[in-house]
Amino acid sequence: MKVINIDNQPWLSLPRTLKITTDGIRYRLFRASVTVAVITVAVAFLMNILAESLIKRAVASDTRERIQKAQLNSIWASKLTSPGSPESIIVETATTEKGSDLYKETQIFAKFDDKAMEEFQALAKDINYIFNFFENLDYAKRRDLIHTSEGVDILRYLSDPENYKTFYIGLSRYKSIHFGMEKEEFDALLAKLPELDATINTILEARREANAKINAILRRDYPNANNDAERLAMALPDADKEFGDSIRSVGFVFDKETVAPELARQAQRLQYTTRMKNSIKDRPVRQLIAQEANILPADVNDVLMWNFLNDKDFAEKYLVKMADSGQDIEGLSADLLVDLAKGRKEAEALERAERLTMDAGRGFMGLGERLAWLLFVSLLVCGIGITNAMMMSVTERFTEIATLKCLGALDGFIMIMFVLESCFMGVVGGTIGAIIGALIGLGRMLSAFGVNFISAIPFLDILGGMLVSVILGTLLAAIAAVLPSWKAARLAPMEAMRVE
Amino acid sequence: MAENIATEQGQGPDKNGDEKRIIIRTVGLKKTYMMKDVLTQALRGVDVAIDQGEFISVMGPSGSGKSTFFNMIGALDSPTVGRVFIDEVDVAQLTAEELAYLRCHKIGYIFQSYNLIKYMTALENVTTPMAFGGVLPDEARERGMEILDLVGLKDRWHHRPIEMSGGQQQRVAIARSLANNPSVLLCDEPTANLDVNTGQEIIDILVRLNTEKGVTIICATHDHRMMNICDRLMWIRDGQIDRIANREDVHIELASIDGE
Repeated sequence: MKVINIDNQPWLSLPRTLKITTDGIRYRLFRASVTVAVITVAVAFLMNILAESLIKRAVASDTRERIQKAQLNSIWASKLTSPGSPESIIVETATTEKGSDLYKETQIFAKFDDKAMEEFQALAKDINYIFNFFENLDYAKRRDLIHTSEGVDILRYLSDPENYKTFYIGLSRYKSIHFGMEKEEFDALLAKLPELDATINTILEARREANAKINAILRRDYPNANNDAERLAMALPDADKEFGDSIRSVGFVFDKETVAPELARQAQRLQYTTRMKNSIKDRPVRQLIAQEANILPADVNDVLMWNFLNDKDFAEKYLVKMADSGQDIEGLSADLLVDLAKGRKEAEALERAERLTMDAGRGFMGLGERLAWLLFVSLLVCGIGITNAMMMSVTERFTEIATLKCLGALDGFIMIMFVLESCFMGVVGGTIGAIIGALIGLGRMLSAFGVNFISAIPFLDILGGMLVSVILGTLLAAIAAVLPSWKAARLAPMEAMRVE
Repeated sequence: MAENIATEQGQGPDKNGDEKRIIIRTVGLKKTYMMKDVLTQALRGVDVAIDQGEFISVMGPSGSGKSTFFNMIGALDSPTVGRVFIDEVDVAQLTAEELAYLRCHKIGYIFQSYNLIKYMTALENVTTPMAFGGVLPDEARERGMEILDLVGLKDRWHHRPIEMSGGQQQRVAIARSLANNPSVLLCDEPTANLDVNTGQEIIDILVRLNTEKGVTIICATHDHRMMNICDRLMWIRDGQIDRIANREDVHIELASIDGE
């Protein structure tokens, strides 16, 4: 005789739950693979955008560094000939690190002690913030707030009480813009304006003086040259020798160990490059290239020349031709020409990279606003796609759900089954998608920037991005599964069977 | 036995001794469905009491509310009005966990379309209710094999439903319904989809369960062989009980029907 007493149903053990779930997935492999494909595509898209923006950002900073290094020549050429502007001095001081050469140099020119220099740099940073703030405003707002003034004149303009009032009224009107400086701070900054003018004038004066001294030295050492620029171009290759001492003697901080040799090398190469560029002016030399390229001599240009100089054999022939037509080939060698051609290519790659990475680093997670929006939309589409797939999957299994409930399955088990299944598919689809997305992103970026930048690619960040997108994909899939499975689990078994 | 059919008066397990214990009792059972703004009354007040160890056949034309009645007494659906007592426990009072326990341990379900889980082997199908009931895997396996042996499918334990014939599938379904030694077996037209011979096998198994194990069997059917071996017959028409009779009384009638 059986006596019925009702008890609470225990929970099914996890291994059994897992087994039932995986068996179910295996049985409906095709159906599941469609869902997985949806997740894969969505996550791949997400990962692709993430990878590309990560690479772009890294390449952008790498490019900036490399360009900075490659531009020593032009930096020093302008520094030695022109005192600069108040704005350039402020930006330089604000962005340089404390203790750097530039920092020390400014300190010397401004005749500041350490404390005064620190204060000056803090001030420069604040002003630089203001520069950036107005830089990023759109034209109408900018015109409304500061009319047409630019640079340090912005501060002068705002010193006027009338303008100052208009500025703050404008700020309170534009709710979307955030001026990160407290009113008191800003007032203090404006009060320091005369002091700032004095400092900058001191620096400019000192620089002007130094420039004049350099000019005098150049005129003395190179009396034959046509103009100042030519004189400087001739002198700079000696920057690691006597000319470097001259630079130091007039007050510039010019490091003998690191900066000087590099500057000399770059100046030297620039000299060679200029000479090579002029070499095609001679007809026999042009003809050599024209023959090689199978075009008319008149169509030969320096881009073509550099292309052919990549080849060492051609470079040797070219040198001979140059010598034959009476050009100066002193210091030139075939290896050097090949090297120069390579350098040119690298410089081109840098330029291209700089152009391509212009939009990097802004907006959400450095994605750029357009990409962040795309990402959001893709997530939305992915979410809806997965929800749809899960709903279909749940609906077509109503009979199974009802049967399982008849056999004593708890509502929670039904839910766990579906959420688990969804998680599985999320992990699988997410992993595949993340790998595909990262690979496509890598490929695209490499083909855009060239192999030179492979060292700049942040592989660790990309790996992190992959992890994030896998988790996101899984989470999305799990969330998408919760609602339909909850609905299915709640139904009385017979209602579920009736639905079909 | 006829007096036991009466509904309201004195129940209680001990009233007529152990054999007459009432296992399922319904009081004023009504069910209305809302289908596209049209109210359909599937059940219009059913009062019935079913004894422990009884083999009862339920008959009625399609649309009579037979299936609805089944779902109500099987705790698979909730009535609009009225109550279902399974061994004097009001099903409506149970929590979700207790309901799951009831379905798992006390009632076995056999469906017309078998409703086996497609991706499980025969053995897994049988052991799943045991797993839900908390039986350990090794023990469940052993017991599952025993039950499969009982329905004559011991050597096909690793086959999936798709690899088996309808009769074999229905036998697996019976084995599954027996997994946790239920007190009541609810069969919804178990032989409807089967040919004559396999239907007979299923009936034989059910009879054996009823006589050997004392399982209460409630069986919706149109199969006259089933009517032949049951203890009582119940007709449902238009959502109400049309008639309840003992088999002995009906047999003559059946014969006359057959004779027509």
